[in-house]
Amino acid sequence: MAGVATTRRPRSLLKSAWDSKVLLLMCLPAVAFFVVFAYAPMPGAWIAFTNFNYRDGIFGSPFVGLRNFEFLIKSGQLWLLTRNTILYNVAFIVLGNILQIALAIMLNEIRLRYFKKISQTVMFLPYFISVVLIGVIAFNLFNYDTGAINSLIVATGGDPVKIYSTAGLWPFIIVAVQMWQSTGYGSIVYFAAIMGIDKTLFEAAAIDGASAWQRIRYVILPSLKPTFIILLLFSMGGIMHGNFGLFWNLVGNNAQLFATTDIIETAVYRMVMTQNNFTTSTAVGLYQSIFGFALVMTANWIVRRMNKDYALF
Amino acid sequence: MSSIKRRTLLKGGALAAFGIGTGVTLAACNSNNGGGTGGGGGGELDTSEAVTVTMLVLGDKPTNGRLEAMLEQLNAKLTEKVNASLELFYIEWADWQTQYNVQLLSGDSNVDLIGTATDWLFAWENAQKGAFLPMDEAMLSSYAPQTWEQVDSEGHWELCKLDDGMIYFMPEDNFTQWTNHGFFYRGDWATEAGIPDGEITEFEQFTTYFQWVKDNQPEAYPWDVAGTNEAALTGFVQGRTEYQVIQQVTAGIYFPFHTTTSDPTAVTSYYMEGDDLLAAAELAREWNDIGVWREDAVNYDGDTREQFYAGLSGADQHHMQTFLGILHRMPTDQPGSDPKFFYWGKENNNYYRDIKTHGAMAVSANSRNPERALAVYDILRNDEECYHLFNYGIEGTDYVIDAEGRRSQPEGFDPATDSLGSNFWYGRMDELEIPSATDPDNKQEMFDALDANAKDYPYERLVVDKTMIESTLAAMGAVLSEYIPQLQYGKFSDPAAAIAEMRQKLTDAGYEDARASIQADIEALEA
Repeated sequence: MAGVATTRRPRSLLKSAWDSKVLLLMCLPAVAFFVVFAYAPMPGAWIAFTNFNYRDGIFGSPFVGLRNFEFLIKSGQLWLLTRNTILYNVAFIVLGNILQIALAIMLNEIRLRYFKKISQTVMFLPYFISVVLIGVIAFNLFNYDTGAINSLIVATGGDPVKIYSTAGLWPFIIVAVQMWQSTGYGSIVYFAAIMGIDKTLFEAAAIDGASAWQRIRYVILPSLKPTFIILLLFSMGGIMHGNFGLFWNLVGNNAQLFATTDIIETAVYRMVMTQNNFTTSTAVGLYQSIFGFALVMTANWIVRRMNKDYALF
Repeated sequence: MSSIKRRTLLKGGALAAFGIGTGVTLAACNSNNGGGTGGGGGGELDTSEAVTVTMLVLGDKPTNGRLEAMLEQLNAKLTEKVNASLELFYIEWADWQTQYNVQLLSGDSNVDLIGTATDWLFAWENAQKGAFLPMDEAMLSSYAPQTWEQVDSEGHWELCKLDDGMIYFMPEDNFTQWTNHGFFYRGDWATEAGIPDGEITEFEQFTTYFQWVKDNQPEAYPWDVAGTNEAALTGFVQGRTEYQVIQQVTAGIYFPFHTTTSDPTAVTSYYMEGDDLLAAAELAREWNDIGVWREDAVNYDGDTREQFYAGLSGADQHHMQTFLGILHRMPTDQPGSDPKFFYWGKENNNYYRDIKTHGAMAVSANSRNPERALAVYDILRNDEECYHLFNYGIEGTDYVIDAEGRRSQPEGFDPATDSLGSNFWYGRMDELEIPSATDPDNKQEMFDALDANAKDYPYERLVVDKTMIESTLAAMGAVLSEYIPQLQYGKFSDPAAAIAEMRQKLTDAGYEDARASIQADIEALEA
């Protein structure tokens, strides 16, 4: 078809869109999801700066500046909560990724097909157990009067341990539970990345006489680096968001453990849950998101300085 | 897929999402869609067009079909009377506080009637925030004449007005119930513990009772309690002092502001002042050392009432209405147990009657048919036939009337699966109630005895302006949630030091500002 120069550009854009129509169509659900659940409600964050009432709505209600953020400072807990939240997430991210990579490599090394499938399924299962149930299981393991662990200690002639009043134990318990629950699921991405490694690399390594360990060290691990960095950057954004369900169900209102277990979500839940107050809750969410946004941008900037190929954008 | 290709896709997706996102206005969150301009004025009820009136209630939506069967009969009558039919919209118990307020926030114009309450369902705040239709005498006496008449004759409309003089909800002011809290315990065990007549008359006697249970009933916890119960502290303070709790102000799940009977206009707090909290905490510590509750009670979430029924707990804690159920079931489950109720403030008559707005019904500011909604409510509240249908269901299948004219369950009825679940707690009337066969014969005597010494809550009309103190209340909630559970369960080795620390933190959180602000609201009420 003939065309003049001035119209070629838009037509070629349309044409390239048409050419990749299947890809675009596949993209559509994700785009719709983000528009509806992430971008469309975004202006609503304005509610964090207002004294909201139903009559005037979100944008008509009186502007109150940062007053809705004050309670975080007034409670004297902002530092403790931010520290706990970040430390837990750092532990989750670092340990989580290490374990997931290790698990993926181990799965890859298993040669027996059925055993591989069974192991994968077994490791996957904890991911599907509700945190409410995990809370109940934990109580039945750890409680002082009837818990399985203390029953065992008593039966073997020891003195029972007050696990639910020993704050120092809980970072280990919580991290262990989180790992138990998420490692199998998280290893899938790495396992898929290993499957995607060019087979010729393995063949070359075999010809060079590489041992299994050398194959892992010099072929698999370097190939996983981009995946690792992308996942790391993604998780940075959520570093101020705790796994509320897990923490709430394991610790609940047990104030004896708060020093080491209270994260932003659980503290805010206790503060405002009876208060019919959307503005303070939104303020907290905004604080977490802005912090996460800044962290992703910074981390991405650093990564780009180091190696442009690994950056998200 | 190579990593380069993956990145390009990511980039493209992000750009596409941004591009669309910037063009989107806030369609999903438009809560300001008219309404709220006031429903003043009366007139003839126009019933020319059939409408559906939707009522928002709290509770789990029943799935056994009985509600629908009842509604079918009820709606036939409502259609005949005012050409309207009723639908129920449930806010289920899971996370109800959030769900309820979010539903109002959404400004849904399909909801016409909103069940509310000033003490547990945020009625004043939601009225102030414009969720409810302001009403006046002309409107109410035209469309809900019987309700208007009855509430007016007792002067109770005053309890439902903001300072603009408009009425924001209709009170359940003609229904007697007692929700004063206390301990349920076993008379047989108390007698064996050496308590005269097995009748506990002072809070501290529970130490004797609990110790006896611990020593003599190895299977049972003296008081099997779960979660954030505060009764060991509040029960003690209420019966030993003249503090009265201001129910309109919460910090987290706690009620930190109080007055005293002798000085009802001075806002104070026993969390902050005096030695009563310490005395209570020391008793709690003694109980913890006895082993009254599970070591990990705060993390435990078992059904402690069932434990009481099963003889595995020496006490249970809730209010008078629940005790009626205990009286009915306990003699069967634990013959000879002689259950008794010790309510807080029994020693010094420091307890209240239920407030008149513990249940109330508002009309949504966004209702498309406020007049018809009022008319339907008026019928449900005052028409005997409709009242019985709506509250009890269909006679014969949902309930039967026995020889003494009392209401009981039909043969083979299982309350766990067969309940009607209409959950109408927003306009019940004493006159229209059918006495339940499960109620004890001396129910009226017990109620009369409670009534003889009870006080009226002095601040029913107190509207607290929380605009400036919201952040302080949240911060105080954080502090209290750290200290109160540990004081309640006797977990501090030095409660005096812990209380001093808590008081300092509450002061830092801005306690004094909040107190002064509430003080001003109380003075405005008096003026």
